[in-house]
Amino acid sequence: MSDFQEYGDVVQEIRGAVNPGRLKLQSNSVIFKNNKTGKVEQFTGMEVNTSEWLKRARGHCLKFRLNNGNVHRFDGFKDDDFEKLASFISKYYSVSLEKRDVSVKGWNWGLAKFEGNSLEFDIDNKLAFEIPLNNVSHSTTAKNEVTLEFHMNDDAAVSLTEIRFHIPNDPKDSEKDTVQE
Amino acid sequence: GTEDKKVRKSNISYSKPSWLPHDSEVRDLQLFVDRKYETVILPVFGIPTPFHIATIKNISQSIEGDYTYLRINFYHPGSSLGRNEGNIFPQPDATFLKEITYRSSNTKEPGEISAPSLNLNTAFRLIKEVQKKFKTREAEEREKEG
Repeated sequence: MSDFQEYGDVVQEIRGAVNPGRLKLQSNSVIFKNNKTGKVEQFTGMEVNTSEWLKRARGHCLKFRLNNGNVHRFDGFKDDDFEKLASFISKYYSVSLEKRDVSVKGWNWGLAKFEGNSLEFDIDNKLAFEIPLNNVSHSTTAKNEVTLEFHMNDDAAVSLTEIRFHIPNDPKDSEKDTVQE
Repeated sequence: GTEDKKVRKSNISYSKPSWLPHDSEVRDLQLFVDRKYETVILPVFGIPTPFHIATIKNISQSIEGDYTYLRINFYHPGSSLGRNEGNIFPQPDATFLKEITYRSSNTKEPGEISAPSLNLNTAFRLIKEVQKKFKTREAEEREKEG
């Protein structure tokens, strides 16, 4: 096996916009160069805590979660990139590339949980969507409600500005609140 | 005989990920309304996330300055008393997505055929259309059940 792999047509989603770039996996590091801005993102293989493979808008997504909680996502992979990537990542970064199912049930209820710097929303144990928390500009809580506002990206045709969650009552309080409603 | 009492089942958009449409709006992280499966596909930071029309309570659109906003309100416990008899929430103690808002520019860039906000305008129109059909059918079914 070669000690590096290069993918010239990877894209990165940044707040609703798709940025083409080049991803290079080396034996000791991962480097992504944004073709538009020239910005380089880099981390070492030793920092990689988990890696996931999931279906997103642009084909498959390779997602690395680092030991410090930071998440890096690279999109645009094809089905048959999986084996090649999985064996490289397992050999050099000592983590397995886990296939993650996405939910297509169409429900709006599930389980919200924090994973590193992401808020993941699972429906039936499958990922429905996730919110990278560095996209959050402001958050507020009210009774049974959490609101997240997001930084805008002028490069995106459509920007997600706000999400509001209904959080159930603590079971201990449920009796009281049912009466109020 | 069969049981008279009907259990209202949760509507499901797709049974597996490969059924998700591959239309350009889905790829381009825009909103897409799948009329056949009565589902709205919303882009959430790179994931096209389907929501069945039955989960959507109402939608509203507004124009503020150079931007169009589309807000989608979903059913959640406490929001819809009296909508249906009985408990329509299979998991009332779950976390619910309650509301989601998108923004898009009304300004046409040079070389563009339409302004980006056309996507939100189209989604608004189609969600209304699918919702109307769905609600009519639901009402008819309830009437048949007596």
